Amino acid sequence: MKILILAWRNVFRHTRRTMITAAAISVGLAVMIFMDTMMNGVNNMASRNIIDFETGAIQIFAQGYYREEGVFPLDTIIENPIVIIEKVENIKHVKNIVPRVKFEARLSDGNDELPVLGIGVDVKKEQTVFETPNSVVKGKFLENDEDILIGTGLARDMNLEVGSYLTVITMDRNGTHNAYDFTVCGLINTGHPLLDRNAALISIKAAQRLLAISNGVTELSIKIDNNEKSMKVKQEISEVLGTDYELYTWKELNSSVFEISSGKRMAQFIIVLVVIIIAAVGIINTMLMAVMERIAEIGTLKAIGFSNFNVVKMFMYEGGIIGVFGSILGCFFGLILSLFITVYGIDMSNAVKDMDIIYPIKLIIKGEINYQMILYVFIFGIAVSILATLWPVRSATRLEPVDALRHV
Amino acid sequence: MVKTIDLYKDYRVGNVLFPALCGITISIEDGGFTAIAGPSGSGKTTLLNIIGCLDLPTKGEVIIDGSNIKKLSSKEKADLRRMKIGFVFQTFNLIPVLTAYENVEMPLLLLDISPEERKNRIISILREVGLADYIHRKPNEMSGGQQQRVAISRALVKNPAMVLADEPTANLDSTTGKEILSLMRELNKKLKTTFIFSTHDQLVMDFADRIINLRDGKVVKDMTRGTG
Repeated sequence: MKILILAWRNVFRHTRRTMITAAAISVGLAVMIFMDTMMNGVNNMASRNIIDFETGAIQIFAQGYYREEGVFPLDTIIENPIVIIEKVENIKHVKNIVPRVKFEARLSDGNDELPVLGIGVDVKKEQTVFETPNSVVKGKFLENDEDILIGTGLARDMNLEVGSYLTVITMDRNGTHNAYDFTVCGLINTGHPLLDRNAALISIKAAQRLLAISNGVTELSIKIDNNEKSMKVKQEISEVLGTDYELYTWKELNSSVFEISSGKRMAQFIIVLVVIIIAAVGIINTMLMAVMERIAEIGTLKAIGFSNFNVVKMFMYEGGIIGVFGSILGCFFGLILSLFITVYGIDMSNAVKDMDIIYPIKLIIKGEINYQMILYVFIFGIAVSILATLWPVRSATRLEPVDALRHV
Repeated sequence: MVKTIDLYKDYRVGNVLFPALCGITISIEDGGFTAIAGPSGSGKTTLLNIIGCLDLPTKGEVIIDGSNIKKLSSKEKADLRRMKIGFVFQTFNLIPVLTAYENVEMPLLLLDISPEERKNRIISILREVGLADYIHRKPNEMSGGQQQRVAISRALVKNPAMVLADEPTANLDSTTGKEILSLMRELNKKLKTTFIFSTHDQLVMDFADRIINLRDGKVVKDMTRGTG
């Protein structure tokens, strides 16, 4: 305890030096917190976009469909969705379940033709699972079977407006080419690039007619009350439905997106590592100075009866005290930056305007603070500071007391 | 009791070997007030440092209260210093960030002594050396003489078997030096603590009851005077 007091006073022999060192550490820690907030924001936004617009928490397919999803196999679809919906609806945690029909389509405005993902949605129930109806920025959501809803990106690419006519061309289950005319009823801006730039939504009835699949749907999307429970709920539903259907959670369906995200984690880790090395070098430098200028004093302490362990303890306390200041400052500034980015966000729309991003996020990136992470960073800052003193103090412990005393 | 047997110490500077001690055999009884005298470079400080377990001899043995320090680990030597030996240095060597009280407290913190007992001992020794009114001053707020009194208090507060003082008056004016020496002598008589100090100052020698004269690392004269 008294060694701690001694260490405290030693740290304040050079207040400015202490504060500069603490500031160096704090910059590193603040960057760490800021980056974590940012990454959380990006990841959560991506997860939310996927759940809210693309898949729901869990999707049900007919057995064998998902394996060939890329080619939209119309011979392995859910032929009678009503039966499944009735079975699943009452399972615990399930809030809603809606069907969708996804198909490969070409859009034509008479001049240009563009391949898109066609999505047939249940006009009335879509909003019980997805946020698409709430993302209409111009016009209105689908109302009848002649309406088509497209993203703002696609509208820009094809020069379309609300009220424009569009032809959807596709091949039905029997291999026949079909083409139906639609009127653009509205534009959506979801933040999910797939929906904003590469998809067209029509009513599920229209889609079923286009594809000649009667009441069949390609998938059922489920909304549950807690997305973290996806896996558990998925298993429960699986037990009810048996082996004719396959189920996937939103995480399983987007593993590639989250693989990218773990790559980003790695990049983040490397940056943090660099920052920490810089901070550690700062504290090593400071402690090295402290040891060098106090060698005679260390000799005196040893003469009084300080063991090497006591000497090391004293310097570790000193490093720790600097670390506490660095951590307080770093967490404070990190939090301020994080709050800023959480409230205001960073507008990336100019930076990525014409980039083809596959990461499903809105162009204003908002952070999300992980308070537990801030606690870890706080402890981490102190730990690094304490450990970084070990090397400088080593030289002090190696000296015989007499050699230390001779250093005046 | 302290005993040295055929003690040698060489210092190496570059490729040259400087002999500092060349076969010193002495024994110093408990409770004495012994001066190790001699010109600078005669090996006084080296001898004192080796007796105080601050330095290692090149050859020879030192026996303190029956234990041979050559056989002690650095931890055991630290323990020996902690419990049995008090040091007083020429440059006082107080810890600048600590007050007089805290400097004196430092050795007690390394021993198992209750806070109350600590306080009593510190106050009483500081009163003994005449610094009762200075206990909360830091070293830079005190004169050299006062600092050396704090250092003496620090050496004595743990009731060590012996106090080793390396040129304790060298940085003090003669009046203050005399005061410090009278104080040490007084404490020596009162507490029966063994004092061994190095000096080349005639004044210091006048106070000693035994003077061991060193020259070129050898004992040239060992003179015991009647107590008085």
